[in-house]
Amino acid sequence: MSLAGDFASAVANTQFFTALRESGLPYPIVMSTHLSSIAIFGGAILMTDLRILGFAMKSMSISEVYRQTRIWKRIGFCIMITMGLLLGGAKLDKYYDNPYFLIKMSLLCLVGVHALIFRPRVYKRAEEIDRAPSVPGVAKTAAWLSLILWVGILSMGRWIAYYERPGEIPRAPAWVTEQPSKP
Amino acid sequence: MFLAYDPTTNPLNNNEWSFPLAECVHISMFAMSVGTIALVDLRLLGWAFRRESPAQMLKSTSLWTLAGLIIVITSGFIIWTSDPLRYYYNWSFRYKIIALVLAIIFNYTIHRKVALSATSPSIASVLTATFSLAIWISIVFAGLFYAFT
Repeated sequence: MSLAGDFASAVANTQFFTALRESGLPYPIVMSTHLSSIAIFGGAILMTDLRILGFAMKSMSISEVYRQTRIWKRIGFCIMITMGLLLGGAKLDKYYDNPYFLIKMSLLCLVGVHALIFRPRVYKRAEEIDRAPSVPGVAKTAAWLSLILWVGILSMGRWIAYYERPGEIPRAPAWVTEQPSKP
Repeated sequence: MFLAYDPTTNPLNNNEWSFPLAECVHISMFAMSVGTIALVDLRLLGWAFRRESPAQMLKSTSLWTLAGLIIVITSGFIIWTSDPLRYYYNWSFRYKIIALVLAIIFNYTIHRKVALSATSPSIASVLTATFSLAIWISIVFAGLFYAFT
């Protein structure tokens, strides 16, 4: 096994992550919390982007929408990342070479790049943009890229569950393997 | 006609991509609908957008909430057709559908009325927002618990 594979197995096989993975209720609760925070976090991001693009919340200035949603994006992001680390750690041995997982992680890195590029140019200058006669192209680019990145992350997250490692026999859910015999 | 329906002929069960794609649409759109409702709830609680009235928040978000709800329900219906009986006999799914109907009725009656009339956070607006957040999040939980029960 590769170094990455050894590391992934070591993480997934720690007592903590084994307990989480094999727990009855906590695992789906962590997953549901991950998804619920997408709603809180995603709603705030969506409205900010749509406001920049001029599609929603037009009664408010861009800077006001940004200021008012910022704390909720941060809270949502922290919950989402915490839950994501728990989910990822518990099955890291299955995920480390999963292409969808790797694309998702790469897109998350690009979110960081997005922030580095556009925070000083757009978000920190929201008040200037509000005073400008029209929303500059750089702000619209930031909004579109943000929407595309987050929909991509969400979709790749869902697709992780559908990857089968080549040569590995897919594990059918219990309700398929344990079908009652027909009379 | 319903008795003759055979899920194994459903395209969702016959290619690799359509089921996850339907799920991605479903998840994006619940994020949009629940997320926009949550913004109104945060306003009702007095935790965000305090310069805007709750009525203004509702007007700013309602189109997106409605669009999200229509698409999330349509995609949910499509997912359901992949194995209707298995969903029907699942208690998480049954809870989800009942709660969804209640949540939609609540959203367009009490929630709407309170949001349109509330000025500063009152007991009514706090209760409305808390119930709204709780029922919508419980629907998200039930959707996921379906896969585990």
